[in-house]
Amino acid sequence: MKAERLARLFVIGLFLGLPLAILIARWLPPGSASEQTVEMHAKMAESGGWTPSDLTAEVGEPLHFRLTSDDVVHGFAIGQSDWPAVDVNPGEVTEATITFEKPGKYVFYCTRWCGPGHWRMRGVIEVSGRTAAEQEIEQPLYAVLGLDIDAPHLAAVIPLQRPSARRGASLGIPIPKMFQDPEYLRRHSPAETWSILRADTFTQELNDDQVWDLVALAWQNSTSSAALALGQQLYTQNCAACHGETGSGEGVMATSISPEAQPTAESGHDHRPPANFTDPEMMLGASPALLQGKIIRGGMGSGMPYWGPIFTEEQTWALVDYLWTFQFDLY
Amino acid sequence: MSPHILPHLNKYRAWIVLALTGLLIALAPLPSRITTPTERHFRVEARSFEYHPAVLRANLGDRVTIELVPMDVVHGIYIDGYDLELHADPGQTEELIFIADRPGTFRFRCSVTCGALHPFMIGKLQVGPNSLLWRGAGLATLAALAGAWKLRR
Repeated sequence: MKAERLARLFVIGLFLGLPLAILIARWLPPGSASEQTVEMHAKMAESGGWTPSDLTAEVGEPLHFRLTSDDVVHGFAIGQSDWPAVDVNPGEVTEATITFEKPGKYVFYCTRWCGPGHWRMRGVIEVSGRTAAEQEIEQPLYAVLGLDIDAPHLAAVIPLQRPSARRGASLGIPIPKMFQDPEYLRRHSPAETWSILRADTFTQELNDDQVWDLVALAWQNSTSSAALALGQQLYTQNCAACHGETGSGEGVMATSISPEAQPTAESGHDHRPPANFTDPEMMLGASPALLQGKIIRGGMGSGMPYWGPIFTEEQTWALVDYLWTFQFDLY
Repeated sequence: MSPHILPHLNKYRAWIVLALTGLLIALAPLPSRITTPTERHFRVEARSFEYHPAVLRANLGDRVTIELVPMDVVHGIYIDGYDLELHADPGQTEELIFIADRPGTFRFRCSVTCGALHPFMIGKLQVGPNSLLWRGAGLATLAALAGAWKLRR
């Protein structure tokens, strides 16, 4: 008799306890789990981009991602961080765990060309922490200088032949100290530097193109092969699809963002083609700071993405340095 | 063969001729044009969902370079039979270099899921003359001739 009562109690306990346990497990705050798991779906920008695209996280708490794609191959990376990009393939789940060390707004973005609107595939992770972002945000150089990025910047003089740093070095003329300062060069366009050098007395013996070679030499001194390599890598990954592998502005995507290919209202793209970095008039009239501004802000009526939240300052300068190789023979 | 069997065989002469012709068409070595292996360079533009050009022709022993230029999204190329794979992002042209050492016609297809019609993104690589096609056509013609001849009798 006692055994039967025990059995009944057990059955009742089972019937009541099990749903109760499930309910309690559901209602418990998710914070009790040490990791926050985000299931994220990637779609082409035209059909929705990232879902979810707004995330929150805590400093020091790992954020666990389960990434998958609903259409084509995408990539996932976080701007201004060293965290390596991962591929997001359809039909597969990519797992990734990220721990943020500093509070702030992080932009995550797609790293594989997934269509004309590829760069629009972005989302935000807001990371909060006890230590508020105390450090002052430094203004980029173009903003400090107050440059008008959209103003025309045509060089008044252009070289007849492609300036070469090697030829400049073989002239055996020491470059004045002023032009050895990278900060100076970043604020001035090559054409300005050329005019100042031309007007100087020590260049009287040289012809115009030899002065251009000196400008190329000054530019070479202000960069390093490591920066150029980083710039080239960033360029091929992020810029070459529109600006072309040769920098001529005739990348494979250039046709699909032209106004004939897509109505402006729908694509958000305007009438201008991607910039041609091999055009000396346009490039030699621009200062590195101006190019930095263009990269950070984007726009320019050509549908240029804004890279401010993606590239670190070092990466942006490396990219600017690399752009000069379309004008100068630096090595 | 002994003369006893010969008249016996005579009855089937037409069939024997037919079978021998068939074997000849199917197995005879083709007069091979001796070609010196050369370099072949193909610039293949890949866009959703086609290759341009979609048919690549090479001779046996040629050194083939396929330059894959994706025009819109990430595309790849996988060549059946050669077991070669390559994929590239737009703006980052990639090259595949190999020796065409297997004769025949091989299907190549996109190796990266590139959209809804991705499975239909195909092309073909022809190495050497397409002898299978010509032999098949010859056999079909022979069969048609044989049928016509049989009907007339």
